[in-house]
Amino acid sequence: MTFPVKLYCWHFMAYPHLPADFDERYDTGWVTVPNRLWDAQKSRGLYQQYIDQLAYGDELGFDGMVLNEHHQNIYGLMPSPNLIAAALSQKTKRGKIVILGNLLPLHLSPLRIAEEYAMLDNMSDGRLIAGFAPGSGPETFNYDVPSASSREQFWEAVELIQRAWTQDGPFCFEGRHYPLRYVNPWPRPTQQPHPPIWIPGSRSRETLAEIARRGYCYFFSSRSHGKETAKSQQQFAKVLDEHGKSYQPFRMGILLSAYVAETDAQAQAEAKDGVWYFLKNCLKGHLRREGRQLTFGPGIPYIPPEEFRSYLQFSDPTTPLLGDAENWDDLQQSASIIVGSPETVANRIMEILAHAQVGHLLIQFHLGNMADALTRKSMRLFASEVAPRLRAESTQLFTRAFPDMERQLAAEMAT
Amino acid sequence: MLDIQGRKVAVIEAGAGDPLVYLHGFADVHGVAADLQPFHQRLAQAARVIAPAHPGCAGTDELAGGCSIEDVLFHYLEVLDALRLPRFDLVGHCVGGWIAAELAVRHPERVARLALIGACGLFVPGAPIGDVFMHAQPERGVDYTTLRSLLFANATAPVALRFFPDGRGDIEEEMRRYQMLRFGSFVGFKPPYFYNRALIERLHRARMPACVIWGEHDGMVPRAHGDAYVAGLNGTDGLRIVNGAGHAAPLEQPEATAGIVREFLAKHLGRAPANR
Repeated sequence: MTFPVKLYCWHFMAYPHLPADFDERYDTGWVTVPNRLWDAQKSRGLYQQYIDQLAYGDELGFDGMVLNEHHQNIYGLMPSPNLIAAALSQKTKRGKIVILGNLLPLHLSPLRIAEEYAMLDNMSDGRLIAGFAPGSGPETFNYDVPSASSREQFWEAVELIQRAWTQDGPFCFEGRHYPLRYVNPWPRPTQQPHPPIWIPGSRSRETLAEIARRGYCYFFSSRSHGKETAKSQQQFAKVLDEHGKSYQPFRMGILLSAYVAETDAQAQAEAKDGVWYFLKNCLKGHLRREGRQLTFGPGIPYIPPEEFRSYLQFSDPTTPLLGDAENWDDLQQSASIIVGSPETVANRIMEILAHAQVGHLLIQFHLGNMADALTRKSMRLFASEVAPRLRAESTQLFTRAFPDMERQLAAEMAT
Repeated sequence: MLDIQGRKVAVIEAGAGDPLVYLHGFADVHGVAADLQPFHQRLAQAARVIAPAHPGCAGTDELAGGCSIEDVLFHYLEVLDALRLPRFDLVGHCVGGWIAAELAVRHPERVARLALIGACGLFVPGAPIGDVFMHAQPERGVDYTTLRSLLFANATAPVALRFFPDGRGDIEEEMRRYQMLRFGSFVGFKPPYFYNRALIERLHRARMPACVIWGEHDGMVPRAHGDAYVAGLNGTDGLRIVNGAGHAAPLEQPEATAGIVREFLAKHLGRAPANR
C-alpha cells in the first residue's frame, strides 16, 4: 500500500470586478470595503463559474475540493460555504468536499452546524471533511465575536458537535456557552463514527495540543512556506509526541497557490493580472501592511497574553507581508504563489515537502480576477503534468521518512 | 497586591484622608501607565486614593472563563470588602466610569460622592461609542494616529505620543495596553458595546452628590452620553467640560480635570464618607 500526497483544489471565490484604481482609492478589502462596489449585472453567473471550476477539478482527478467561510470582504464570497458544498455534492461524485471551516462562534448554536454537516455528509455519500475554525480578526469585527473569549467558546462548540455525532441522543449538554437540554440530531453522518475533522491553526500551542489530544488533522493556516512551515510541522510532531501519538503526513495540511503554463515566461505573463489583483486588492486589510490589517493584533486580543508577549518579542511590525510583494522575485521568496512551467512548479512544491512532510496539499488555482479559461488550463496542466510527479516523489519521500505509516494509519482508523 | 479568594489584584494607593476609589480607563493608570499620573497625584493631595487594576490589567489576575460586566461588578464588591471600605468616594474614567455608575446604582449606600469622567455605560441612540478595537489595529503595521485621535484632542500631543507611540514600543508597555484591550474585549466588544441598556433607567437610585465631567473634544464617548448621565443622576450641577481635552482628559489636562473633582468634593464636604 502506498500513500502519495493528496491534492485538493481550493477556491476562495474572490470578487473579480473591482475598479482598476481600487488600491489607490480604498484602504481595505475587508469589513468596511464599501459594498456599493458590487456590480450585480457583471456578477451574474459568477458563483456558477466558480462552482464549475471546482467540479472540473473533480473531473481532473484531484482528491477533493476545498471551501471556507468569509464575511463582508472581496477576498472570499462564501459567507456560507455549506451552500456551495451542497451544490458540489450534487455535481460531483468522487472527491472529498472539505469545508475549512465553519466559523463556530459566529453561529447561534453549534447544533445547527452538526446538523448541516451531517446533511452534507449524507448528500455527498460520505465525502465531507468537516473543518471547524474560530474565526480571526475580520470576523470579530463583522460578527462582534468578543475575541478574548472566542477560543473557549470554540472548543466547547467542537465538543458539542462531535458528541452530537457520536453519542446516542437525546442527551443533555451542560456547556457554559451552549447548554442544551435535548441533543438528538437527525440525520446522523454517513461516515462513522464521524467525518474527519480538520482544524486550522498557526500561532497557538494551545490549539495544537487540542488537535493532538482529540486526534484531528492540523491545517497550518499560513500562506507562506519558508522555514515556518517546517518549524510548525516539527512543533506539531512534538506536541503529538507529548500526547503519546506520532506524526505522519496525513495529520497535517497546508495551503499553496499555483499557476501552471507551458513555460515559466508564459506562466508569468498569463498569471500576472490575477496574481497582482489578488495581492494588492484581496490581501489589503489581511496580509498586507498598506492600509489597516485586521487579521491579528492588539485590537483583536484573542490569544493568551503570554503568547502575545512572545509574538511581540519575535516579530517586527515592519516586515513585509505576502501582499507587500513588489515583483516576481519577492513573490518567489515567500513560497506562497508558485508560478511556472510544470517542472518549475513540481520542483518548488517538492522543495516544500522535503522540508515539511505534509500529506494534504490544498491548492488555490483561481487568483483574484483570473479568467475562467486560464484557471482551467492551469488546473489541467497541473493535473496532467505536475500531479503525477508529486504523487510518485512524495510516495518515495514519505515511505523513506515514515516506514511505519501503514501501521500508524491503521491504528488511527481503529481509534 | 490584594488576594481575593486566591486571585491577585493590583492596587496603588496614595495620599491620606477620605477614601477615594479610582476606577481606571484605557488611557490611564493601569491601562497604559504603570504609575499614578499627575491627575491622580493631584487627587491624592486631598484624599486617600485607592486605584485597583481591572481583571487582567497591570498584574491583576483575569477572571476565570472571561468576564462579563456582572462578573466585574461582583469582583469589585469583593475588592471593596477586602479593602475594608464600607463607604467611599468613587471616581471612574471611561470604562471605569461605567463600572462606577453600575456600582453606584446597586449600592448607593456605599458610595458617598460619585464623579464620572468620559464614562461609557449608557446606550444613547444615534451616538455610538467609538470602536477602540478597530483603531488599536495600526495602519501600515506601525501607525497609531487614528487611535490617538480617538482618545486625545490632539493626536500629536506629547502625552498622546508618550503612551501610544508609533511602531513597536517597549514590550512591557505593549503588554499593558494589550491586557487593557483584552479586559475591554471581555466587557465591551460585542453588543452591548461598553453599555448596559438598563443602566439609564436605574440612574435615579444613585442619589449621592454626583459630578459628570467630559473632555471638550471626546472622540470616543460622545458628549450626548455626558448629557444623559446628567439627566439621569440626581445630584449634579450640569455637565462640566474640560477645555482642550479629548477622551483622555485626566492625562491631557490633569490640573483642570483634578481641579473639577476636588472642587466638587469640597462643595459636598458634608457628604464625605466619614460623615454618614
